[in-house]
Amino acid sequence: MEKQLEELQKQFTQDLEAIHKPEEIEPLRIQYLGRKGRLTAVLRQMGTLSAEERPRMGALSNKLKSFMEQALDDKAAALASVQIATGIDVTLPGRGLHRGSIHVINQVIGEIEAVFRNLGFTIASGPEVEDDYHNFEALNLPENHPTRDMQDTFYFDKGVLLRTHTSPVQIRVMESQGLPVRIIAPGKAYRCDFDVSHSPMFHQVEGLWVEEGITFAHLKGVLYEFIHTYFGPDIPLRFRASFFPFTEPSAEVDMGCIICGGKGCRVCKNTGWLEILGSGMVDPAVYGFVGIDPEKVTGFAFGMGVERVAMLKYGIDDIRLFYDSDLRFLSQFA
Amino acid sequence: MKISYNWIRDFVDLDVDVHEAAAALTMSGTEVEDITHQSVPREVISARIVEAKKHPNADKLFVCTVDTGKETLQVVCGAPNTRSGMMSAFAPVGCDLGPGMLVKKAKIRGEESFGVLLSERELGLTDDHTGIMEFDVETKPGDILVDALGLEDWALDVNVTPNRGDCLSVIGVARELAALFGKRMKMPDNPIVEDPTSVDSVLTVEIVDTRGCPRYAARFLNDVKIGKSPFTMRRRLFQSGVRAISNVVDITNYVMLEYGQPLHAFDSTLIAGGGIVVRRAAEGEIFVTLDSVQRQLRADDLLICDKEKAVALAGVMGGENSEVLPTTTSVVLESAFFDPEGIRKTSKGLGLSTEASYRFERGIDPAVQADAANRAAYLMASYAGARVYRGVIDANHLSLAKREVRLRLSFLERVLGITGIKGDDVERILSGLGCDVRAEDGGWSVGIPAFRHDLTREIDLVEEFIRVYGMDKVPPVLPTFRPLAGVVEEKGLKDLRVSLAAVGLNEIVTYSFIAGRWKESFPGETLELLNPISDEMKIMRTSLLPGLLTAVERNRKLQTRDISIFEIGKTFHPSTGRKLPDEVRRLGIALTGQRFNAHWSEKGRAVDFYDIKGMAETLIGGADLKPSQLPHLAPGSQADISLDGKVIGSLGGVHPDVLTRMDIGDEVFVLEIELEPLLKKQWKGLAEIPKFPSTWRDISLVVDEHVGYADIVRNITAKGIREIRQVAAVDVYLGDKLPAGKRGITIRITYQSGERTLEEAMIGKWQEKIVASLKNDLGIALRQ
Repeated sequence: MEKQLEELQKQFTQDLEAIHKPEEIEPLRIQYLGRKGRLTAVLRQMGTLSAEERPRMGALSNKLKSFMEQALDDKAAALASVQIATGIDVTLPGRGLHRGSIHVINQVIGEIEAVFRNLGFTIASGPEVEDDYHNFEALNLPENHPTRDMQDTFYFDKGVLLRTHTSPVQIRVMESQGLPVRIIAPGKAYRCDFDVSHSPMFHQVEGLWVEEGITFAHLKGVLYEFIHTYFGPDIPLRFRASFFPFTEPSAEVDMGCIICGGKGCRVCKNTGWLEILGSGMVDPAVYGFVGIDPEKVTGFAFGMGVERVAMLKYGIDDIRLFYDSDLRFLSQFA
Repeated sequence: MKISYNWIRDFVDLDVDVHEAAAALTMSGTEVEDITHQSVPREVISARIVEAKKHPNADKLFVCTVDTGKETLQVVCGAPNTRSGMMSAFAPVGCDLGPGMLVKKAKIRGEESFGVLLSERELGLTDDHTGIMEFDVETKPGDILVDALGLEDWALDVNVTPNRGDCLSVIGVARELAALFGKRMKMPDNPIVEDPTSVDSVLTVEIVDTRGCPRYAARFLNDVKIGKSPFTMRRRLFQSGVRAISNVVDITNYVMLEYGQPLHAFDSTLIAGGGIVVRRAAEGEIFVTLDSVQRQLRADDLLICDKEKAVALAGVMGGENSEVLPTTTSVVLESAFFDPEGIRKTSKGLGLSTEASYRFERGIDPAVQADAANRAAYLMASYAGARVYRGVIDANHLSLAKREVRLRLSFLERVLGITGIKGDDVERILSGLGCDVRAEDGGWSVGIPAFRHDLTREIDLVEEFIRVYGMDKVPPVLPTFRPLAGVVEEKGLKDLRVSLAAVGLNEIVTYSFIAGRWKESFPGETLELLNPISDEMKIMRTSLLPGLLTAVERNRKLQTRDISIFEIGKTFHPSTGRKLPDEVRRLGIALTGQRFNAHWSEKGRAVDFYDIKGMAETLIGGADLKPSQLPHLAPGSQADISLDGKVIGSLGGVHPDVLTRMDIGDEVFVLEIELEPLLKKQWKGLAEIPKFPSTWRDISLVVDEHVGYADIVRNITAKGIREIRQVAAVDVYLGDKLPAGKRGITIRITYQSGERTLEEAMIGKWQEKIVASLKNDLGIALRQ
């Protein structure tokens, strides 16, 4: 009897395979599962079995019965959907709208803003065409000093220039706003430099926190929080002593290379580290220009290049792509 | 600055490897950008040319018998200095000297050669390729060259920040390493055996401008024999990227790299009257520097002169008329301190930056002039056979009063945010950096060494402490804060970007400076860069449209014809009365090609005026459009956009002339508006949601083509019927069924009342009133 059941399953499967119309399902069901069906016929032989064999055969035939019922239902559903598809071709393209995109640089700025908003920062801005005082002098870059060589400046007449960094916003905010100051200032900056890694126009995000009791440890805390939120929670950071005229002590901030995980690659020049931020404690000389008493108040400032962040995040290796307006590039950031 | 690691180790004993030393420098603020291992393969040995014979088949070649210490080989060599008995560098067959330089057995003009004799350049040691290498130390055949000459070295590429002029030298970097690893400096003795003749008997120094030149030290050296410098000196110069010239000149460069003190050597026979005079140039004075360039000077440039003429541009470059030549036999050696700002002005003014001016600008050690002169004199005695005249002329107007800066422990902890800093650590670190540290109540009184002109304030000492102590020892701490008032405006900008992208526009960002020729289509005052990158990036944009149109042009060249783009950015407008220009934030849009993606179910449609107008209507609810006459837009299909009575922008088709010039074959429709009014738009209050149903009526009109749709709407809404909710055009018909000069317009008027359900009779009355008014006022008939 066991053999008979096996044979029955094989035949049923073949018969089911051969069906292509929904109306053929029901006759097949009757043929096997009906009152005079083939499975029922086999079951009638149960009486001839010994008392020991009977329960086992009962279980086997029940299993076969539910298999057949399920298979018939599945087949019916499949044939029904084919039926709809022959009405229309669901694979033809729909009437979609063209999808636009926000420029990747502005996306990145938005993301950076979001992180710092959560850390209690507000957004500030300032003019892109600046005077010498705000761009250099008040940031402790005196005239005829080699620190000015750090930046190649675009000039207009009469000491007016294109800001070489977003740092003048620090001065403008401290001039016009009471303490505490806690801002970030994203925006454009300009330097006479043009190649694969330098664009004459680029974007920076400047940050400034000035308040009683702010320390270098706080600078580290805020930047750890930023990097871990933006790039990933386990990324190591190192603060490397450096020099900026408007901060002291100053530190370059490196993060563990996000491309190779710190093992060393082309992007990190095999160091395992990526330079990502410049930072430091606001130099007392700067407070002198905006009338803040450095004996009472301390603060920190930092800045980062948005293009660099975007290039690292998206693996872009030519800075000029950002400003070429090539839609084949831009639309990838939809 | 590139310097040899072995050279640094002449001044400080380090027990760490080069990578550890470099990492410590980098973390403490003197970034080592690159470490280049420089060595030669161990197969390269010292070998003796037992015999060098003329090659039978080639005039300029020698066939040498070479003793390698193990065997005797035949080697063909073409170097002019090849001679019997000499020792030189030899690479046997199979030695790999670098890419494409595997030594193979060769047959040269019929003579077999089992290896090569090498020049210094071929070994990568210097750029000397005048002959095969000769040694200035004893070697035996078979000695491994790397060991025999101590050739293994590393070149460190050190990025010195502008505040650390003192680190632009081997000693400066060695001092940093000594401080970082707690080591003592080993300074050279320079034991000069002086000649009895006094320098004063042959030379005088007079400083006229003591501000420009507060210190001028000089020595006199006689019986100088000009020649090649020793190998190690030439190699170290080569590692630093300085060309070797002759022993005397090389020594001045070598000591400059070592001490950071630029030196200059004059041929003393060319110094008229045996006297040096330091004075300012006369305005317009002409001077020829040793690069043979005539330079016109200004009155604040400083000159080194003899009794008759100028002989050097102080601190920048020597003169052609007094330089050391192969014939030179006596030398005046200058070791001076020049005012950093003055040197910078001269260097900038002439566009001439040199190793010397770079160091003077950044401030050299004001106490090292005599030491550096002595060091150079000692080396010239050792390597150029010089007789050093007795004494140093040292005209010194510098006041070297010891500078003291106070450092409070409380200040240190307040800036860094750490507590429990140990006094021992502070004293150890500052002393290690060369300071003279004395403990006081609550802190220290710190004497600053002369070479650290950058340390003048308490905060400078905080930085010195932490950069050596280790910034990694400060734990990151998140400060507590109260939220500040937010800036809503920036959110509006972000929302705007999102909605523009959602309706299918791609955002572009273009340069704020554009080509001057755009002034043709966008006349008006502009700001012009004095030093643009190119003519294409010369004037500050007064409109976003040039950037948008350039993007259209570029993408069409890249075979994209259906383009919908926008840019948000500033335009720049010269202001009257204020120093800085007005910066106006704007939104610009350009549309061209097909409005929607091609689809199999319907025919495509090219973008037209009503697409751009529709965008304006969606963006700026309540905007008014009036026909305009802007030069960059097509006549007849352009309009000014006003909001609350103020023009905030314009829209329309781009003028065909502009498109032709840019080779754009399709129509382009553009929009440009100021953003501030849009972002500042006030919420006008909540309108009541109607409780009663609305109802609408259509009327088909035959309208004279001179009557605008806006005239019809105005006429209808001016009749005082408060229940009119909306007037809309549902069809515009042009065709032969209408008389010439007429068009058909179907208007749908929607009525609704806030107080009751409208009755048919009421609506009928209003309709009659409207039809009559249109007929009387505008001559419009109902279409039959």
